[in-house]
Amino acid sequence: MTTLITKTITKICLPLVILFSISLLLAGHNNPGGGFIGGVMFASIIALVYVVFGLKYTATFFNPDWSKWFAFGILLACVTAFAAIPLGYNFFRSAVEFIDLPLIGELELVSAALFDVGVYFVVIGTLLFIFKNVGDDK
Amino acid sequence: MDSSATVMLAIFVPFIFALLVPFVSKILKQHIGWYAVAVATATVLLILKILPTIIHGETIYGEIMWLPTAGLKFNIYADGLSILIGLLASGIGVIIMTYSIGYMSTKEDLPRYYQYLLLFMGSMIGMVFSANTIQLFIFWELTSITSFILIGYWNDKPESIYGATKALVLTAVGGLVMLAGFLLLQVITGTFDIPTILQDDSMIKAIHGHELFFITLLLIFIGAAAKSAQGPFYIWLPNAMEAPTPVSAFLHSATMVKAGIYLVARMHPIFAGTDAWFILVSGTGMITMVAAGFLAFRQTDIKAILAYSTISQLAYVMTMYGYTTYHEPGIGVAAATFHLVNHATFKACLFLVAGIVAHEAATRDIRKLGGLRKDMPLTFIIACIGALAMAGLPPFNGFLSKEMFYESSLEMGEALGSPFTLLIPAIAIMGGVLTFAYSIKLIDGIFLGKRQTKGLPEHIHDPPAVMLIPAAFLAALVVLFGLVPSIPIHNIVEPTTAGILLEEVELHIKMWHGFTTPLMMTVITFIIGFGIYTKYDAIAAWQDRFNLKYPKISVNYYYDQMVNNAKTNARKISSITQPGTIKTYVSALIFTMIMLVGIPIILLGADIIPQSLNFDIAIYEVLIMLFMVIAGIAAALLPAYLPAIIALSALGYLVSLLFIYLKAPDLALTQILVETLSTIIFLLVIVKIPQKFKEHIPTTTLVRDLIIAGAVASTVFILIVNATQGIIPPFESLSHYFIENSLTLAGGKNVVNVIIVDFRGYDTLGEISVLCLAAFGVYNLIHSRGDKT
Repeated sequence: MTTLITKTITKICLPLVILFSISLLLAGHNNPGGGFIGGVMFASIIALVYVVFGLKYTATFFNPDWSKWFAFGILLACVTAFAAIPLGYNFFRSAVEFIDLPLIGELELVSAALFDVGVYFVVIGTLLFIFKNVGDDK
Repeated sequence: MDSSATVMLAIFVPFIFALLVPFVSKILKQHIGWYAVAVATATVLLILKILPTIIHGETIYGEIMWLPTAGLKFNIYADGLSILIGLLASGIGVIIMTYSIGYMSTKEDLPRYYQYLLLFMGSMIGMVFSANTIQLFIFWELTSITSFILIGYWNDKPESIYGATKALVLTAVGGLVMLAGFLLLQVITGTFDIPTILQDDSMIKAIHGHELFFITLLLIFIGAAAKSAQGPFYIWLPNAMEAPTPVSAFLHSATMVKAGIYLVARMHPIFAGTDAWFILVSGTGMITMVAAGFLAFRQTDIKAILAYSTISQLAYVMTMYGYTTYHEPGIGVAAATFHLVNHATFKACLFLVAGIVAHEAATRDIRKLGGLRKDMPLTFIIACIGALAMAGLPPFNGFLSKEMFYESSLEMGEALGSPFTLLIPAIAIMGGVLTFAYSIKLIDGIFLGKRQTKGLPEHIHDPPAVMLIPAAFLAALVVLFGLVPSIPIHNIVEPTTAGILLEEVELHIKMWHGFTTPLMMTVITFIIGFGIYTKYDAIAAWQDRFNLKYPKISVNYYYDQMVNNAKTNARKISSITQPGTIKTYVSALIFTMIMLVGIPIILLGADIIPQSLNFDIAIYEVLIMLFMVIAGIAAALLPAYLPAIIALSALGYLVSLLFIYLKAPDLALTQILVETLSTIIFLLVIVKIPQKFKEHIPTTTLVRDLIIAGAVASTVFILIVNATQGIIPPFESLSHYFIENSLTLAGGKNVVNVIIVDFRGYDTLGEISVLCLAAFGVYNLIHSRGDKT
């Protein structure tokens, strides 16, 4: 599978797909997308890198501990869920805020989006953690 | 500071200062014991501060709300009874911790020791002041857990581990049974609050007449009996003697084992005055009293003798609390309470003596000990006071409470009429006789007779003051309470009895009260007791022979059978429920699914294929479906893994195509991505195993699998066809709510995503947690494969 063509295409695709996955994540509240899809998208491009360049070679320049990603994700999700309690609201109460930014226009800030970021990290972390462990297995 | 705040402080002080022990021990090093003594002293003072209020005849109630929406609160209730046990726990705590400073070697892990002692003390105090049953249960189990840790303090000794486990299993399980009883009590009364029930006569009447009365009483009593080592549950206490001796003196004679007694006393106003109460409580008490006293004979370890005597003495108290009639519900309450106080003093004293002897003579075996009166004269005097008080000799406090025991036994026998008039006093005398015999044995075996030389150090002497003074203090109390009984009676026994009986009580107890029947019984006790003592060794030898001959006549035998075989039995059961082959799990799963879907459809009486089906299908759908069928068949029939997997993923992509056609971009996107990733992971795994289906599938298996697959397919088909037709009219689709409210309530236009992260965010949190667990599961599966053990 490691032909020059796939290698080149993977290199070109990598930044595009990552950007697309982030845009999916951020767009999720109002348009198709969301943390789960964005996460799977991110995971699949990294998986492609692993397949094309090999786990060992990739590890020499890019070797994150994926378990930390999902740990961070679940922490973030929990924090957003519990954050409403000290503020006097019910568990999981979401906050919506609209901000007017110059040049960009109206920006909508939703605390649920932060929760979605948590989901995003959990999905990336678990999928790639499993992927790497299965692939690494002798 | 008002009284209820004082009580709360008394509960939390030991806990808070226990948590600080590791830090303080860095400064104080091996002197950490004095810190613990200081904390315990502060607790005693806090409880003593409210004692005058209680003597005055008032009760204290206080509460802190901590989850008002669920009606949960932390509330405390203090009356004479709770003060009594609270004072015992903290007061004996001070004595024991002081003694420990001399007893525990500085090489031991002292911070851990004192930390758990303080935690135990806090749990005990928390338990007795709890005003609701749930809170009581929590503190109750905390005492079991701290006791477990303290019994197993020397955690490299197998006997300690055995003893600790046994204590935990029996007392914690007893506690759970008790919780069930509390829940039933709540079902009957509608409240968890104890004072609410106590102060409401109509509620108590309702409990007595309720059909659940007996089962509630039984469940709560099992908890109490397990904690106080009564009835068949006694077996944990002798093994708990593996704990350091101060712990045994503190937990397993003076305080924790009194928790069961406390519960019985606390429940007395609620349940007493009925036949069931007398039969259950007094019956268990009387049997335990005689049996444990008898079994004490064959013990050779002085701590084991004390353990059996504790069981027997607690049974005295239990029996007296059980004495009840309809007209006079609390015949033995005052006597029981007084004996409770007395037992705490003389038994803790004797345990401390046992600790001193073991510490100085390096053995606890009564066969090796003997004639130590000249080597340790002060210890000898203290031991005599303790043991003679236990035997019931005047002028010690044990004499007084035993007289009261006989008196109340006579009264109870009188109330029940023949043949109980004689039977109950006779059983009481039997208990007294056995107690007399082993009490004398303790003095005789350790201190009297010829000085033993074999197996004993040459120079044995009295211990340092820090160990002697606590024991001497307790001995002094024994004498004081005997000579001037009005001190304990007026200050603690009367308020306690009033707390249990819920009325004013006045008691008059004197050392000399004329030639009464109880005095006659005492004289009889001493005469028979002395007679039995001359046969002491013969009886012990007979017990040994009997035990050797019939090992199965013992509660311990069944406990060991149950615990030792637990693993094998569990494996037998799990080999049926968890056979380990995926085939069984999948079959069970599929069968359940078919049942869950099929039964409602049949019961609802809908047509399996609805009449009004819409057969108007677009050409695109037909085409996609056709390809899906082809891909499905290919996945099943292709002879090698790789093409089969490709066919399977083709099916997946076709599904996503269908989603696009049905205008569900979110679903389509997700489907494509998941399909891609799962295909890659599938391939990664599959390349490692042989690439051809080598195994031949027998026809029977094939037919069976086809039937299962067909059944699943048709069930799902019927389900979906019916679901789209709306076979259950009253159910409205939930989606309308979400579509209408997603923008207004959650500020999002993508309804699917808003549902995931906002409306059903809680579900999503659960799902991502499961996802993380799945990752760990895969990790373990892969990495645990190599080492099969």
